[in-house]
Amino acid sequence: MTIASLAQDTIAAGMPLAELYHYLFVAGVLFGLGVIGFLARRNLIIMFLCTEMMFQAAGITLIAFSKYHFNPDGEVFVIFVLTIAAAEAALALALVVLLFRRKETLDASAWAMLKG
Amino acid sequence: MGVLAVILWSLILIPAAASVLIAMRTEKSAQTVAMISSLIGVVLALVAAAQFDWSNSGAMQLGTESGIPLIPALGVTLSTGVDAIALWLIILAAFLQPLMVWGSSTAINENKRSYYGWLTALFPAMVGVFVARDLIFFYACFELTLVPMYVLISSFGSTNRKKAATKFFLYTFTGSIIALAGLVYVAVFNLNLDPATFAGAGEWNFDIAVLQQAAQAMPLGQQGLVLFAMMAGFAVKVPLFPVHTWLPLAHTEAPTAGSVILAGVLLKLGTYAILRFVVPFAPDAVLEWAWLIAVFAIVGIVYAGLICWVQRDVKKLVAYSSVSHLGFCILGLFALNMTGLQGSVLYMINHGLSTGALFFCIGMMYERYHTRSFNDLGGLARKMPIWAFFMGFFTMASVGLPGLNGFVSEFLCLIGTFQSGADGIDGIGGTFGPLGPWYAAIAGSGMIVAAIYLLFMMGKLVFGPFREPDGYEHHGPLPEDLSPREIGICVALAVPCLVLGLYPKLITDSLEAPLQQTIDIYTGEDPALADANNPMTVALVPVDRTPSVLFEEATR
Amino acid sequence: MQELASNLMNITTLLGASGGESLFTYQESSGGPGWLGLIPVLPAIAALICLLLLFLARKGMASGKSRGPAYLVLGFLALSFILTLSGFLMWNGQGKPAWIVTLFDWINITWNSGDGEQSLIANFGFYFDGLSFLWMLFVTFLGSMICLYASEYMSGDKGYARFFAAFGLFVASMSCLVLGDNLVMLYLGWEGVGLCSYMLIGYFYTKPEAVAAAKKAFIVNRIGDLGLALGLYLIYTTFGTVQYDELFRAVAERTDAAGSPLDFATMWQSWAIPCLLMIGAFGKSAQFPLYVWLPDAMEGPTPVSALIHAATMVTAGVYMIARMFPLFLMDPDLHALHAVAWIGTFTALLAATIGMAQFDIKRIMAYSTVSQLGYMFAGLGFLTTTGGAYHVFTHAFFKATLFLACGAVMHGFAGQLDLRKLSGLWSQPGWRITSVAMLVGCINLAGLPLTAGYFSKDMILAEAFYTPDSLIHFSGLMGWILLFTAGLTAYYTFRVFFRVFVGPEHYEPGDEAYDHDSDETGEESHHPVEEHGDHHADHFHPHPPGWAINLVLSVLAIGSILAAIPYFVSDGNDKSKGWVGDMLYSSSAFYKSPAGHADKHGNETAVLVPADPVVLPASFADEPAAAGAAKGKVPAADAWPVRDQVEAGSILGMDPHKAMYYISAVFGLIGILIAAYLHGPKGPAGLFIGNRTQAATSRADALLPKLGPLPRWAQNKWYVDEFYEATIRLPLWVFANIFHAIDKLLIDGALVDGISSLPKAFARSIRPLQSGVLHSYAAGMAAGLGIILLVVWVFSL
Repeated sequence: MTIASLAQDTIAAGMPLAELYHYLFVAGVLFGLGVIGFLARRNLIIMFLCTEMMFQAAGITLIAFSKYHFNPDGEVFVIFVLTIAAAEAALALALVVLLFRRKETLDASAWAMLKG
Repeated sequence: MGVLAVILWSLILIPAAASVLIAMRTEKSAQTVAMISSLIGVVLALVAAAQFDWSNSGAMQLGTESGIPLIPALGVTLSTGVDAIALWLIILAAFLQPLMVWGSSTAINENKRSYYGWLTALFPAMVGVFVARDLIFFYACFELTLVPMYVLISSFGSTNRKKAATKFFLYTFTGSIIALAGLVYVAVFNLNLDPATFAGAGEWNFDIAVLQQAAQAMPLGQQGLVLFAMMAGFAVKVPLFPVHTWLPLAHTEAPTAGSVILAGVLLKLGTYAILRFVVPFAPDAVLEWAWLIAVFAIVGIVYAGLICWVQRDVKKLVAYSSVSHLGFCILGLFALNMTGLQGSVLYMINHGLSTGALFFCIGMMYERYHTRSFNDLGGLARKMPIWAFFMGFFTMASVGLPGLNGFVSEFLCLIGTFQSGADGIDGIGGTFGPLGPWYAAIAGSGMIVAAIYLLFMMGKLVFGPFREPDGYEHHGPLPEDLSPREIGICVALAVPCLVLGLYPKLITDSLEAPLQQTIDIYTGEDPALADANNPMTVALVPVDRTPSVLFEEATR
Repeated sequence: MQELASNLMNITTLLGASGGESLFTYQESSGGPGWLGLIPVLPAIAALICLLLLFLARKGMASGKSRGPAYLVLGFLALSFILTLSGFLMWNGQGKPAWIVTLFDWINITWNSGDGEQSLIANFGFYFDGLSFLWMLFVTFLGSMICLYASEYMSGDKGYARFFAAFGLFVASMSCLVLGDNLVMLYLGWEGVGLCSYMLIGYFYTKPEAVAAAKKAFIVNRIGDLGLALGLYLIYTTFGTVQYDELFRAVAERTDAAGSPLDFATMWQSWAIPCLLMIGAFGKSAQFPLYVWLPDAMEGPTPVSALIHAATMVTAGVYMIARMFPLFLMDPDLHALHAVAWIGTFTALLAATIGMAQFDIKRIMAYSTVSQLGYMFAGLGFLTTTGGAYHVFTHAFFKATLFLACGAVMHGFAGQLDLRKLSGLWSQPGWRITSVAMLVGCINLAGLPLTAGYFSKDMILAEAFYTPDSLIHFSGLMGWILLFTAGLTAYYTFRVFFRVFVGPEHYEPGDEAYDHDSDETGEESHHPVEEHGDHHADHFHPHPPGWAINLVLSVLAIGSILAAIPYFVSDGNDKSKGWVGDMLYSSSAFYKSPAGHADKHGNETAVLVPADPVVLPASFADEPAAAGAAKGKVPAADAWPVRDQVEAGSILGMDPHKAMYYISAVFGLIGILIAAYLHGPKGPAGLFIGNRTQAATSRADALLPKLGPLPRWAQNKWYVDEFYEATIRLPLWVFANIFHAIDKLLIDGALVDGISSLPKAFARSIRPLQSGVLHSYAAGMAAGLGIILLVVWVFSL
């Protein structure tokens, strides 16, 4: 079952254009993409971007539920998360730059100093 | 009684405060503060002895009747009280404390704050064990003794100290955890008893007396579990063969004062706990299993004794001799009659004095030669006659020479074991008990072994051709033979050895009453003693002990 | 001779007067004068003062320049002797109650056993009866004399005060052993004398042999002590008391009016108790399996050998058996007494054969002590406590004399003890008293007629034949062995005398090799010889004994001769047993001979049996007796008194008491003549048959090769030490090492460290999961997520 066919099914059923279900679906897809990207890629920046993607998936979920329950807490929380994510992104990119300077590579497998 | 409870509490709190004070004050004042604190401990112990009603020595005295509630929901209270047994052991601990501080004057030259602080902190923990009438209070103090001892060994010991300290801590701690499980099991059992029949039952209660009657109401199988859980913890502490191997290591690596207190009091926590918990808590199981524990004790006596003989390190020799000696103590305990129990309690005190003194003597020698090996030393009597005298004196006390303290306790333990369960011709000589002549006869061979290894030690170290380590030159603050300070320590230990050897009645009289209570659990008309006819027991846990049921259980 | 004859008459005419009484008498007791309690205390105080002197005035006292410590101890010992003597004179009399003097409570525990009160009481109390007075008289007297001797012998020694401290402590312990009013006190003294023996054997503590000998003595004694201790426990467990007074009453209550032991005889305790006690006695009194320590104990200073290892301590075993004789008699088959008799006989023979082959005169004396102790034990085994005790008494005197004479020689010749290197001391200036004393000792030991040793030995030998075979099996055979041994004794005794004291004048100084205290500190050397004698053999001058040694030797030599008097003096009714018999009559050691001879007391003794019959507790009366009867083991009322009806034994068809005077004399004389022939010098002292002209050689040298390896084996003590080394010490040592290895490798290694390494091993096994690679962690997380989803999914189905 492809994603496209899933979407078609939903529309065909004559459901409201975007229900909670759809938001969750998108968030799930986004998260899945993030996970796959994180696992598949070796490049630190790409991996970092993938984590951001997973972040946003969580954010979408939160907002969706927030709307669903008529409870603004979720949206507020997402705004916080976004702010922090921005700061964190800055920090992380700085770290990546530092790491790159050390080994002249962006390959994540070059770093395994926490080996037990 | 309420006011007098202050004595026991100050025995705990003043040294505890002093240890904090030592840690905060300067290096220079550390020993002085420790000394003052330990002398206060002696005075307080004497005050306690003076206030103690010796005519009623079996009763818990000087305590707080209801206790200070600590965790009311669980019924944990800080209740205190001593009978003659506990009081004598407190006096022993208080007596050894200043000697240890005094004896460390030249041995410890750096990090004094830490050393004396922890040494002082050990005392309240030990006292706590003896005064506690609440199980959790007891257990907390029992475990708290480990911490100061751990630091003393690991920071101030010899070369292999880290390993020894770790082993000491983990070994005894593991054992104690199992013992705690057994004790808590009793508390849970108590929870399920009917308060109408058993006072204090039906709710969380950790009062030792309450738990004792609850435990006695247990059926045999459960008592057996409790017995083995408790023995797992306390036997390690004693230490009983085969869970003894931490002791030689800890003794060898510990600083002199550490070895002294270890042999003097800490090992006695194990025997004391057995006397207080195992014997009265699980009488049925004790009768069932006493033979096994006695066998371990006897094996330990002979086995550890023979091992002593082939040691090259004198401190290790004395450490193993502790294992051998405490076998007699355990044997006397499980003889379950007055002579055996008297001997056992006396053994706790006497072993503390004579073996503690031996460790002091070895420490004095070690401070001069920095070796304890028989290969490097010999015939020291020529150079250190006074030291040799005391070494011989305490060796003889340890070997059980009549007239010195070791004899009385060993004699009583053996005679107790011998008559336990034996019949006299008119029933006048034998007593109730699970052991018998054979146990005593085989354990008695430990007397010969003790003579072999202790005289081997004397023959090598004190007598024989004079030998010093190669290139040894005498220097340092200590004179060739003992200094007046060291003589003072030895005399202070020798006098009670002699006094208790010639007049043990000093102690035995006061022990009769508390030990009679223990014996009455077995022979008296004690209603709490569990038996098959006790409706409570049967109603609570009907145990089908037919083989087929057991088989089913096992195969399920 | 008139008296002798009348004694013989007594023996022969007093047959068959027995029957109808208890086997032994229970002696009543009462409190005695409190000052008697000072007897053991005084020497202890002296020892304590000596110890304080050691501590406080080390320089002056330790050097031995001052004889203060010796005179101090001597004073206290003499006082002790005077107290003993006055106590004895006050008490003196047969059938009087024993005195009990309690100093203070020692072990004193009472409890409620559930069905009644029980107690263990062993106080610091002293028991004065004939037996303990007898022992104390010679212990304190010889102690004082030997202390005086030692004051000269030990002078100049660095450990002077130490020696006398141990000396005082020894007499105190010995007094406790003898006087204690309970078995625990006896045990206290028993171990106490063992300790003093240890300290004094190891007196020259830098000498490895001395240390080893001391250790050996203590450990071998401990083996015996274990037997004694177990016997003690068993007595306590059986009778519920360890106090003599109560114990003997309890035992007396176990015999019925006809003298047969009741139910108790059917119990295993009846033979186990005496057998255990016997082991203790073998250890302390150096009997066969446990005798090996005594010869080695000669490493100690000679006064110690004389006092402890000849006169007093080693007789403790005899004392103990005599004291506990009632218990030995309770066994209907007399197992223990059979063993005592056989072991005694065998030891006497064995030690005599070893003694014959030694060259060290002190060692010969040591073996002769072992041998003579064997006689005493055999005597006890032949049921003659009087004979045993009398031999102890005479032996104490003559053996102390012999040792002290040897000591004087050793002292004067720089430690020379080899009989091949000394000769003709008799005619050397200053040695006459020593030689005479030696001669007196030798004739006593050899049992020459009319000496004290002769009478006391005869008492035992006669009893060997007199005791019926049905009572002690093969007692006659043992008697012949002992007679033969008497010949050997005479031989080796006079071998020493003929070689060392008569004959050509010759001496070589000993090396005094072990110069134990002249260490690098440069302090004054320890041994007096080095002050007076010169080391160089060229101009070595022997150092004849001074006044103290000569005085003591004279007194003891006279004492040895006078020790024969008690044989004839008796104020009691039973003259045949002499004064010692009188003494023993008023003690637990008294035994009415089974064959019914020689006892006029008759009804008197019966009075001492408790007047009212003992009511036995129901359980006791019913069970064992009934059970025993069912098995047919309980002796019927008439089964036991068979002792009273048996025929007394005889020797070659003659009355042993009469015949023995001649037979033993013949054996002794033959032994002496052989010694004279083999070792005697030409001339009268060699009894005209000797021809020795050299110090080192004798006719025996020619004879030895013809005997094959026997002399060498005997000289090597029949390799008993080596045998023990190989069969006991070595295996034990191997076991110790195995245990040590087990402890290290198995218990500590495999079990403790093994178990504690399990968590570590587990951790190590999962350690690779921590690869440090980001992706593997991420994969793990993803996998975890997947598993959680899967689980949720499965459960939501």
